[in-house]
Amino acid sequence: MDKRIEFTLNGKKVFVVTDPLNRLLDVIREHFGLTAAKEGCSEGECGACSVLLNGHLVTSCIIPMGAVDGQNVETLEGVRETELGKIIVDAYADGGAVQCGFCIPGMVMATYYLLMNNHNPTEEECRVGISGNICRCTGYDLIIKSMMLAAERARRILWA
Amino acid sequence: MGVNSYLPKTLKEALEIRKDHDTIILAGGSDLMVGAFRATGVTPEFDKDVVIIRNLPELKGIKKNEKGELEIGALTTSREIASNPDVPWILRQAAGKMGAVGLRNSATIGGNIANASPKGDTPGPEYLLDARVVVESLDRGEREIPVNEFVLKLKTVAIEKDEIITKIVLPYGDDDFDNFFYHKIGRRYANAISKLTLCSAIKFDGDVITDFRVATTACGVKTNRSRDVEKILIGKKRYEIPSLIDEVNAQYEALLTPRAMPEYRKYSTKCMISDFLMKVSNNTAEKFNE
Repeated sequence: MDKRIEFTLNGKKVFVVTDPLNRLLDVIREHFGLTAAKEGCSEGECGACSVLLNGHLVTSCIIPMGAVDGQNVETLEGVRETELGKIIVDAYADGGAVQCGFCIPGMVMATYYLLMNNHNPTEEECRVGISGNICRCTGYDLIIKSMMLAAERARRILWA
Repeated sequence: MGVNSYLPKTLKEALEIRKDHDTIILAGGSDLMVGAFRATGVTPEFDKDVVIIRNLPELKGIKKNEKGELEIGALTTSREIASNPDVPWILRQAAGKMGAVGLRNSATIGGNIANASPKGDTPGPEYLLDARVVVESLDRGEREIPVNEFVLKLKTVAIEKDEIITKIVLPYGDDDFDNFFYHKIGRRYANAISKLTLCSAIKFDGDVITDFRVATTACGVKTNRSRDVEKILIGKKRYEIPSLIDEVNAQYEALLTPRAMPEYRKYSTKCMISDFLMKVSNNTAEKFNE
């Protein structure tokens, strides 16, 4: 049975009338037209659908809308407008992190979540940071390099 | 027609819903939402009404009770458990090795025990440390159940239709044992479902073993633990351990009932127990061993 669910989406108060069991991933893509989050595995393991829920990285394919009521959701569309988000997107481009691109919105979200909580990550910490994000093209190394580049630039520009 | 969902804002509201309706509790969703998935853009399918409790504030957080025992709210996530220094090391290990970053922000300790999967990550340390599961209902208030009695069998726990798991209580911590062992065998670092996990702890008074415990997950329908096996070492001296390892292993192996790859699982269990106990015997074990 449909219910009115109110939440904050990329800084704006929004509502949707939907079955509370519908997945956050489907609602942000189909109702709000925010298609950065992708459906990969549908079981919370591949990270392609990653968003931030109350500031924490989650896989939106396993979050029912009822769990979003009154909460704060940020997607890549919001994150890429932030200063840190822009630095990460640019570092991914400059570092050659992207091949087919399907996993990249989730990778950027995981990178953002890592760097928000750790301004000076080691390579190992970067690998753990994206350990829930599966990429079938790159072999990860250029993504890791780009994460380190983003961290270095952010330290210089944002956190000096 | 789909089922009803309830979105309580407080524990009291949630308990009223549980009393009045036949419901499934949906906490972090990392297990139930996967099982209920049908197709992209299609409402996940549940066979009962659902009460979504992910954000109930009363069931979150970690604190000490008057007896000094650690109480972990049922909706505390694996990330919160893994990163809280008040939590015993062995439970932090289990929570920190569950899934990956995003999943650990959803998965809850209450959901992990309610799910009653033998491959669950947090139940192993809970069995080892004699954890108690606290459930609450409107009519009967709180009741506490030892974790090994709470899990009845595969995917089945001793919870009544009107109850909600509110917290897990840990009567033992890092100071209560001299050496701990935790090792999870999975097929990869992240997103690994346990193939076999061994948890163990030992305590000495001088050279005399005053407590020894061992629990295995993913090696039968329930987490394996037996006080009778543990008593083989209790009361014995450190130097006697090597002569008793075979008996511990033989009796422990008799408890294990793995469905798949039984030889592998039994052999690996034996190796891990022997490795830990030999290090303890030789005084080369660290406080925390992996």
